Amino acid sequence: MRNVMLLSAGLLLILCAGAVFADEVVDPEVVAHAERLAVGTCGTCHGVKGVSKQPKFPRLAGQNPAYLAAQMKAFRSQQRGDPDAIGYMWGMSASLEDSTIEALAAYYAVQTAVGASVASDGASVARGREIYEKGIEAAGVPACSACHGPDAHGIADFPRLAGQHAQYVMKQLASFQNNMRNVAVMHGVAQALKVDEMRSVAVFLETLP
Amino acid sequence: MNFRFPRACLSSGLMLVLLTFLVEPSAHAVPSFARQTGMACEACHTVWPELTHFGRVFKANGYTLDNLKQVRGVTVQREEILSLASLPPLSLMVQVAYTQLATPLPDSSGVGNSQNGTASFPQQISLFYAGKIAPHAGAFIQLTYGNDSGTLGIDNTDIRFAGLQVLPGDQSLIYGVSLNNNPTVQDLWNTTPAFGFPYATSNIAPGAAVSTQIDGARGQDVAGLSFYAFWNESFYGELGAYRSAKQATAGPLDSASAGGVVSGIAPYWRLAYEHNWGRHSLEAGLYGAKFKIFPDLAASDGAGYGQVLKGPTDDFQDVAQDLQYQYMGDKNLFSVTATRIHEKQTYSATALALGINTVGADLTTFRAAATYYYKRKFGGTVGYFSTTGGAALYNPADPANEMPASLSLTRADTQGWMAEINYVPWLNTKFSIQYTGFNKFQGLSSNYDGTGRNARDNNTLYLLGWLSY
Ligand code: HEC
Ligand code: HEC
Repeated sequence: MRNVMLLSAGLLLILCAGAVFADEVVDPEVVAHAERLAVGTCGTCHGVKGVSKQPKFPRLAGQNPAYLAAQMKAFRSQQRGDPDAIGYMWGMSASLEDSTIEALAAYYAVQTAVGASVASDGASVARGREIYEKGIEAAGVPACSACHGPDAHGIADFPRLAGQHAQYVMKQLASFQNNMRNVAVMHGVAQALKVDEMRSVAVFLETLP
Repeated sequence: MNFRFPRACLSSGLMLVLLTFLVEPSAHAVPSFARQTGMACEACHTVWPELTHFGRVFKANGYTLDNLKQVRGVTVQREEILSLASLPPLSLMVQVAYTQLATPLPDSSGVGNSQNGTASFPQQISLFYAGKIAPHAGAFIQLTYGNDSGTLGIDNTDIRFAGLQVLPGDQSLIYGVSLNNNPTVQDLWNTTPAFGFPYATSNIAPGAAVSTQIDGARGQDVAGLSFYAFWNESFYGELGAYRSAKQATAGPLDSASAGGVVSGIAPYWRLAYEHNWGRHSLEAGLYGAKFKIFPDLAASDGAGYGQVLKGPTDDFQDVAQDLQYQYMGDKNLFSVTATRIHEKQTYSATALALGINTVGADLTTFRAAATYYYKRKFGGTVGYFSTTGGAALYNPADPANEMPASLSLTRADTQGWMAEINYVPWLNTKFSIQYTGFNKFQGLSSNYDGTGRNARDNNTLYLLGWLSY
């Protein structure tokens, strides 16, 4: 019993030290500012905790922080440029400083992701799963899971896709394809995808927890 | 319909061509909210002035979202005490129009007719301050020059303070207070009178002569403070109070104040529920107000009226329902708005002045419209409007005189439909062709004015060029 308590006390100390250490690295002022922004400004579209309800606005909860930060910077430098990115996010990100971007990314990364919906079209989901896990060999489409992870929770800097709105995913795939969102890797992947294949994989991803 | 088109068509075509040349094509022309937020109009509007869900939340939040470089002031505790945009969020709006009636109106001399086909240049020019004024406060202030008034005056104004609270379970609560000058100008949906369809109409064509109090009758004639809460961006509740605030007079209000004076304060209330799923948004709500008015009898009836802003009042109790549905596809946008306003009128003050028993009346207005847009570029609206019953004291033979010598119980029914075609070449520029057809005008479909003029003689073709910068 005593040992357990000692152990817990020790753990607590380490944790607290970790927290203090973290505080030294990140300015609490910036964190507070980012939280206010996330709730009061970004929240209207993306949900106060990054779980948006409307399919036009991507879910950010549980997303890979490095990816989030990279996207905000891509909006800010006006490189990610499909019409919705231009209409909504170029303005939104224009005056974000690097430190705020990091803090915003950290804020969303720790929120709990929630699956968007339970799909009704079983055949489409099954087809989507197949594409996600195996790709489409004949068309030269690689397996998505290789980069986005077997559970679609993302790997390293590759973004999480699980639980994302199908409408948003579909539109991104189309934008990669026509290079409005100009990313070489995903252009290569999406190049040969047909619309119904995009839809299947998007619907499948939306059902994932 | 006895409308002959050729000449109207020719002139309308010419007008459109002219307008197209007059407007400078600038793709980056976006008005002040867009300037302030850095977002294109489509974030807040389907096609202006109709709001999207985000637009409603932006309004509830006090127009404060901003992205401009700020001039800041903070205390030692880093509390924000000033946050000024380096550029003021100003906008200019211009409406130029052309109106053609099915049959010209009689000449004011009583002999012959007035000229048909009237150009309005401008019908209206407005200057807006629309945006943040302080960390939690924002404003929508409109100053308008109209060709009807020939002067610049205050138009719809809504100044608000808002806050946002995250509740347990990720629920949100937006709350705030609005100081405004037109009941429903602060409302978030496009069903209520101030921002409901039709968004623009001719100020030359004859229109319904009576309306309920909440239906614009008190616009810029009152000042009100209202408190609101928007829970989870779905349940909305608001309570407010209005008091007379006349224009073109600074002195204390008295028996000569045109349009009557509100006794004490007039309560205003609003309840609404909005549900959003996928690309759909549905709202249903209730709103109302009660106005107790001291009529301005002294002005029109001379000595006949002994009461000066005391004693009984003429009471107007308004209760309304509204409904809105929006579908927002990437290419196709569709929306339906409807409202029904019922007003119970009790004329105690007027009755006393006339030495008769108190008279009452019911007035009901119904409006519905369906709008479709393709790619926010080409669109159209069809609408229906009707005002029936009521206005017991209204004398149709003398529309200018609100207080007829003899009590006429003629009904005020005005009823018809509207169709509008819109072209929106740039998000801030709209060209409209609007046609209004009347089935009934001031109670009758034929010979409504006793000189043989029929309701359909007032059918109106209206061309509008509308731009905001
Ligand atoms: C008015 C609505 C709106 C607001 C407010 C808004 N966004 Fe966005 N955001 C969007 C839309 C729309 C997209 C998708 C753009 C696209 O389709 O390319 C997006 C995309 C993003 C993405 C990319 C997500 C991904 O999976 O690639 C990030 C990150 C993001 N927003 C962060 C923010 C932050 C941080 C804020 C607040 C400072 C914010 N947004 C405010 C509408 C909004
Ligand atoms: C070789 C690695 C790789 C493969 C394979 C891959 N992706 Fe990606 N994907 C990426 C990278 C990297 C990004 C981030 C792009 C950026 O930085 O904008 C991305 C982004 C995305 C996005 C945008 C996410 C967002 O939130 O905006 C979607 C959607 C997506 N991928 C879907 C897929 C699908 C579906 C497949 C399989 C058909 C797939 N990807 C296969 C590397 C890959």
